Amino acid sequence: MTGALFRRARPWLGTLVEIQLDGCAPDRAASVCEKAFAEIAAIHRLMSFHEAGSDLGRLHRAGARTTLRVDRRTRDVLGWALRIAAASDGCFDPTIAAQQVAWGLLPRPAGSASPDPNANWRDIELVGCAGVRLARPLWLDLGGIAKGYAVDRAMDILGDTGASQILINAGGDLRVRGASARVNVRTHAGLESSPRLELANAALATSAPSGNTGHKRESRFSAHVHGRTRRPLALRRSVSVVAERCVVADALTKVVMAASDRVALRVLRQFRAQAGVCRGNGSWTLLGAAA
Amino acid sequence: MKARWLIPLGVAAAPIAQVAFAAQYMTIEQAQRAAFPTADTFVATTAATDAVVGAPPGWSPKIWRASAGAQNLGWLLVDQVVGKSELITYSLALDQRGAVLAVEVLDYRESHGGEIRLAGWRKQFVGKTVADPVELNSDIKNISGATLSSRHVTEGVRRLLQMYNAALRGAGS
Repeated sequence: MTGALFRRARPWLGTLVEIQLDGCAPDRAASVCEKAFAEIAAIHRLMSFHEAGSDLGRLHRAGARTTLRVDRRTRDVLGWALRIAAASDGCFDPTIAAQQVAWGLLPRPAGSASPDPNANWRDIELVGCAGVRLARPLWLDLGGIAKGYAVDRAMDILGDTGASQILINAGGDLRVRGASARVNVRTHAGLESSPRLELANAALATSAPSGNTGHKRESRFSAHVHGRTRRPLALRRSVSVVAERCVVADALTKVVMAASDRVALRVLRQFRAQAGVCRGNGSWTLLGAAA
Repeated sequence: MKARWLIPLGVAAAPIAQVAFAAQYMTIEQAQRAAFPTADTFVATTAATDAVVGAPPGWSPKIWRASAGAQNLGWLLVDQVVGKSELITYSLALDQRGAVLAVEVLDYRESHGGEIRLAGWRKQFVGKTVADPVELNSDIKNISGATLSSRHVTEGVRRLLQMYNAALRGAGS
C-alpha cells in the first residue's frame, strides 16, 4: 500500500526539523523517519556550541596545539567549512564564534581559554582521518553548516524508501528528492516580495537577517558576521542559495551575504550553485542562475 | 539539480490578506501509538502543576498513562507553547522511569505569517508554469528562511519534566 503524505517534526539543531515523505507506506515511512531523526540528533549532539560534551566543546577546552580525535561527521563538516572558507578567501569562516560570544549571541564556552583575536579558518588543521588540531586558540560555530549537513545525512538515510517525494526542512535549510516541490522563500521584506521556487533534487538555504517578516527597523545589524572583517553584515539583505548539497547551500548564503557579487559568482560557479539576493527595497537579483 | 525561480514582478495595490503557515503532523492518538506500540490502554489522568516554576497561569497539560495489561509502560504528555507568532502543540513521551522516549511536534500554527497584497502576489505566478492556482494558507507548505525556533518547545519540555518529577514519579508504577 502506498500512503498519503507522511509528515513529522521534532525540535533539533535549535529549530524544528521537518521530514515529509510522499507515496510511501506509513509503517516504512515511520521506521525510516526514526532512523533519520536519530542521525539528526547525533549531529546535534556532536556539533552543538552549547553542549559541553560535544566535539566542539571538547575542541574548545583542548585549546591550541593538541590533536583531538573527533567523530567522522564533525570532521566531514569541518572539511566542508574549510573548502568553502578557502574558496571564498575567508568570507565564510567557521571561527567567527568569538564575535558572536562578544555580542552575547552565544554563551562563552566553559573551561576554555580566550580565543586569539587573529585566529581564523587557516588555524584549523585536519590531521589524518579523524584528528583536528587548532594552531591558535579559537571558537568554532558550525551552527548553520551543521544544520545543512544534518539535512544531507538524513536524506541519505531516507533516499531509498521508494517515496515519490522526500522533503527535509531544518528551519529553512531544506532538501528535496524525487518529484519537484514548491517552496516559498521568506525574507526581511515579507512573503509578498518573495520568490517561490520549484525545486527537484536540490537543496536550498536562506539567510534572512531577521527571523520574521516586516520588522525592517528592529536593529541596524544582523547576527551574521563577515568572515574576514569580523564586522556585522548589513541587515536589509536576504540571500537564498540553491545547490546540490544542503551543507554547501547553507555556507554559500554567508559567502553571498559578505562577498562582492563578482567573488560570490565565482564561488557559486565553483560549487555549481545559484543564489537569489533580495535587497533592502525588496527587489531580487539572481546570481549564477540561467535567465 | 533543478531549480526554477519565480520572482515577484512588483506589487500592485490590492486587498491585503493574512497568510500563515500551518502544519499538522500527528494526532494525539498517533503520538500515543508511535511512542507505545505495545500499549493496550491509555488512561487520561491529571497532575498538580503548582510545583512547576515558570508555568503559565492556568497551565494544564494533558496526561495519559500507557499500559499493557497491569504493566505501566510510561506517560504521554501533550502541551502547547506560544511564541511571538506561533502556537505549537507537542507531545513528550516518558518511559516508566521518566526517561524521555520522544518529543514530537503535533501541530504548528502561525497566528500571522505576513501580510500579502493578494493581487500582486498572485500575479507573479500567473502565466508561469505553475499549473495549479495559488491557494493561500493551504499552499504555503514549505518555507525557506523562516527560522522556526525550538526554544519554546525546549522550555516546555523542561516544565513537563518538572511536573513529572513533582507529581507523576512513582505514581502508577
